[in-house]
Amino acid sequence: MKAMIVDDEPLARRELRRLLAEFPWVEIIAEAGNVAEAATAVEAHAPELLFLDIKMPGGTGFDLLARLEHVPRVIFTTAYDDHAVRAFEVNALDYLLKPVEPERLAAALARARSPAPAQSTPRQPQIVERLFIRDGARCWFVPLHEVSLIVAEGNYVRLHWREVRPLLGRPLSSLEERLDPQRFFRANRRQIINVEFIEAVEPGTSGQLHVQLRGGPEVEISRRQARVFKTLMSV
Amino acid sequence: MAYWLCQLLGWGFNAFSQSYSGIGNGLPATPLKIALEVASLNALALLYTNFLRGYMKRHGWHTLGIARLLPRVLAAALLFGLPTALIMRSMSIAWLWIGGKPEVQHAVAELGGDVAEWLVTADPMVLGTMNWTAVIVLWTILYFSITSLRDRRLGELRQSQLARALKVAELRLLKSQLNPHFLFNCLNSVRALIADDPAGAQRAVTQLARTLRYTLTAGQDEVVSLDRELEIVADYLELESLRLGERLKIERTIASEAHSAHIPVMLLQTVVENAIKHGIAELPQGGVLRISADMREQALTIEVENPRPAAPGTSPSPGVGLRNAVERLRLLFGAAAALDLDLSRPDFALARIRIPQAG
Repeated sequence: MKAMIVDDEPLARRELRRLLAEFPWVEIIAEAGNVAEAATAVEAHAPELLFLDIKMPGGTGFDLLARLEHVPRVIFTTAYDDHAVRAFEVNALDYLLKPVEPERLAAALARARSPAPAQSTPRQPQIVERLFIRDGARCWFVPLHEVSLIVAEGNYVRLHWREVRPLLGRPLSSLEERLDPQRFFRANRRQIINVEFIEAVEPGTSGQLHVQLRGGPEVEISRRQARVFKTLMSV
Repeated sequence: MAYWLCQLLGWGFNAFSQSYSGIGNGLPATPLKIALEVASLNALALLYTNFLRGYMKRHGWHTLGIARLLPRVLAAALLFGLPTALIMRSMSIAWLWIGGKPEVQHAVAELGGDVAEWLVTADPMVLGTMNWTAVIVLWTILYFSITSLRDRRLGELRQSQLARALKVAELRLLKSQLNPHFLFNCLNSVRALIADDPAGAQRAVTQLARTLRYTLTAGQDEVVSLDRELEIVADYLELESLRLGERLKIERTIASEAHSAHIPVMLLQTVVENAIKHGIAELPQGGVLRISADMREQALTIEVENPRPAAPGTSPSPGVGLRNAVERLRLLFGAAAALDLDLSRPDFALARIRIPQAG
């Protein structure tokens, strides 16, 4: 597993490197001391795992994640930042308190190695599987296959994911390019639906389709898209 | 809410018992009439006591002693009792007039000019007045007992809230003095040094122990020599150098006559910590920390300058540690002593300390 260490303290990086020597399957491919360096290194080396300090000069670990197109798995390392760790509300994430305990590190790595939720499609480099979202004081890692509906709101998009509706600071068109086309379908000008959440489809009066999403609202597929939809579903 | 519930229940119960005894006593009126009369009188009493409550609040009756309160309460009760007794009497006559048989009406009409006299016939009037006055006095007694009980409980609650707020403030101060972020990062650095540089690790542990001991044993009102304070600052800065590496550079200019000057314990340390935490540690490239001390006009003058991330617009307010340091400085050395943080340049911070030295 290709891993990268981001921490502003050289000694902290050295210490983590030594601790990781116990796990030969973890290969450290890069290190970075601040957010700008780290952003470049992540795009260049595409690590699968990120050891990320939260408090760093020139921006926090969260700032780094918000800048990344592809978010790798993250294990936060922090000396004393309880409020920052608490910012994560919904999904369990791993964080290690410095000085890092070898047992805790082993447990975190075991979880990181466990396979990601079943993927219906082979991985393609441009497809995003997970998003890091910071909305106000709250943060989430959102697995895209769990998102039922994506709605444009001006230059932003709102995700319908579990019980929350986080807002992502990028336009719908730029997100669409990076979505798995097997899973996500552009229903109309403003909405993209996850076809795996479709519960029922009913024809409308003038060629459009009404789609009922599991646990979500009804979405209208425009007339033009309805033809594409029928071909795709080939029913 | 509770007040209105008490009012309605209290007067409702009073009305009920009055009607019950009235009907039982076989007064010359039908039960319905008695009930109606009693109900309207009690409604009147409810309105009056409600007005009385507002009046008492406005005029601060709850602060009065019993000697001044008693006559006021009696007057207020009489003010209701007398007219109410009057109303009762007129109502009784009215009932007789409306409900009575023609003979009765005739008899009442014959009374004519005697009505006025009858109204003030001593017996029922005195009885009615006393009755209603007593009821109102009872009401005020109840009212004051309930409110004073409640006020006392509120006071106790406020006291415990205050005590808790104090505890929280103390805890925050202690935490800021211990600087947990620094502490745990330090321990992490030491852990890293143990394998590569055992001698460095030993030195770091010693320095950390000295810094912690100084922090924890320093009394709030203690005064030390600048030399002693500078020793701890040096220990602390070496530990920060371990963490920050190349990013921290230090320049010290201490005039020889300043070494023995007096300074509140932990004052310079707090200022230097601040300079690292909000300044150099926040800069990816780091910077130079300048500490200078000098004697000018019988006063110790210390300057601590550090680069900081350019903060457009408002400058951050000083933390709890620095605020506490300013307070201690004033208490120990008087108004002529000063500590101010100059943030006029967007990417630099300059702390100036001035402590007059006696003799």
